[in-house]
Amino acid sequence: MTVPALEADALGKRFGRRSWALRDCSFRLPAGRVCAVVGPNGAGKSTLLALAAGLLAPTEGTVRVLGAAPAAVRPRVGFVDQDKPLYQQLTVAETLRMGADLNPGHWDADTARRVVAGGDLDPDRRIRALSGGQRTRVALALALGKRPELLLLDEPMADLDPLARHELMGLLMGEAAAHGTTIVMSSHVVAELEDSCDHLLLVGGGRIRLSGEIDDLLAAHTRVTAPATADLAPHDVVESRTTGRQLGALIRPAGPLPADWRTGEPSLEDLVLSYLRNPTAPALAPAPETTEAAA
Amino acid sequence: MTAALTTPAAPAAARVPRQWRWLARLHRPALICGGTLVLLTAAALVWLGGPLTDASAAAWKAYNACAWDKVCRYDQDAILLYKEVYTWTTAAVLAVPFLVAAWAGGALIGRETESGTTRLAWTQGVSPTRWLASRLALPALLAVAGSGLLSGLHRWAWTAADGRVDTAKSWHSSATFLAGGTVPVGLALAGLAAGVLAGLLLRRAMAALATAAAAVGVLWAGVHAALPYLWPSVTRVSSLREGPVGSGMHVGEGVLTAGGGRATAPCFTGRLPDCREDLADVGATAFYRDVHPAAHYWPLQLVATGILLAVAALLAYAAFRVVRGTTGTARG
Repeated sequence: MTVPALEADALGKRFGRRSWALRDCSFRLPAGRVCAVVGPNGAGKSTLLALAAGLLAPTEGTVRVLGAAPAAVRPRVGFVDQDKPLYQQLTVAETLRMGADLNPGHWDADTARRVVAGGDLDPDRRIRALSGGQRTRVALALALGKRPELLLLDEPMADLDPLARHELMGLLMGEAAAHGTTIVMSSHVVAELEDSCDHLLLVGGGRIRLSGEIDDLLAAHTRVTAPATADLAPHDVVESRTTGRQLGALIRPAGPLPADWRTGEPSLEDLVLSYLRNPTAPALAPAPETTEAAA
Repeated sequence: MTAALTTPAAPAAARVPRQWRWLARLHRPALICGGTLVLLTAAALVWLGGPLTDASAAAWKAYNACAWDKVCRYDQDAILLYKEVYTWTTAAVLAVPFLVAAWAGGALIGRETESGTTRLAWTQGVSPTRWLASRLALPALLAVAGSGLLSGLHRWAWTAADGRVDTAKSWHSSATFLAGGTVPVGLALAGLAAGVLAGLLLRRAMAALATAAAAVGVLWAGVHAALPYLWPSVTRVSSLREGPVGSGMHVGEGVLTAGGGRATAPCFTGRLPDCREDLADVGATAFYRDVHPAAHYWPLQLVATGILLAVAALLAYAAFRVVRGTTGTARG
């Protein structure tokens, strides 16, 4: 049995006295996956990643990273914050040298240099003189140079133009494939992740709404068109809308569907949007055992 | 499979200088400015304690030797220059703890928590507590070296002038006492710890800067107010004719009554008839004055410094608690 890359059990984080950023989150991410953490702004994505990176302590529940507490595996986990914080007064080259010094024994200078070189960056430029996209590149170089087993990226592509986005995504996927790195990246743009990710965590309102392999999740749902009078029970209904004499719905079939219903597989974006539009739709987060068996 | 990638952490001894190197790199301008300020002040203090004191002492000697019926020739400029330089160097030494606190709150920690670079630092291969330890240890070392050098030189310069320069400040004048000896070192360390804690809690550079400087101000005022009571004082008793006597740092004075108790003195000389009556009314038998003689200089300095060091240790401990609590890091 392999150790999951990321595992949460009833995980919750409260800021202040009563505002819960995340509550009752349980999921398990097998190692080697590229996982998209999707959800609207303020859903708790950043909190989840910061908890996994050992930057925040949970208020309740537990999070385990590579089979251990986040604080115990810092050297094996890479993290890129949403704001891409870097020391403004250092040059690009100095920033990478600092990465080498602060990650003794597991620094991959070549990878870090390659990531920076792709952006045509002058190593002697100071960080404060870089554009947002260039800063993202340096932050990613710092995280990848660490040669992490788990890479946590919070909105990594937000500042990049489409070309750089494509190139860096390719680089990330190359790293993941070459070293078996598990990547967890958050975004509120689903289309950005559809091609690259094989696992999905949908976070909404501080809870996990969907969790699992993307293929499994898509297969578990069906988009149906039925007569307006049709009874959707006993299927789990994510979303349904009646227009005239027709009923359109996204359901999780609990059994065979009547022959006169027209059915189709939803797209990932379709699935995500349906859940986000309907906060009361039943969550689908397979029990850890199920995921384990599927993996 | 994944375990093969793990490498054992480098020994702590090798990791600490690395952290220090980057700390020094990140704060190079502050180090240069601070170092320059300390060296300039140190040079001024050496100038003060050496040539300026000698010139001023010579001038005072000439002045005191003057006979009143002749034109008196003495080097007044030397006396004035000594006073001027003494005032400014004392102010510079007193400012050091405030500067340390403001820098620690604003630049050392506040800027990192505000800009989020703590999130970068805490996700490298070095734990947040080690990060904090390096942020406390190296600046503490430099603060001790800088403030220690200046307060030592200040005390030396004061000692050189004591008894030779007639307008030299007494050992117990507030500015002189708090700028010499070991108190500035204690204040600087407490200021450093206050700045670090403020930076961690407030997460805003300017707010942390102001809070830390204000905290040093409060400590300064606290030490100043508590100073007379930090060591047992000596009581000098004098007759009603003499009035209260005893020089040094005053703690309190009044009259002793026939019953052996103490009372507030209605007036301070038994030579005036009115006063003599008033003293008789309260049953006074003698004047008393509680003072710290010059010999109490070091005990007072050391107790005050000890209290400041305890405050610094508490603040530093709180800073570790904050970092551990935030990040869920256990010890280490």
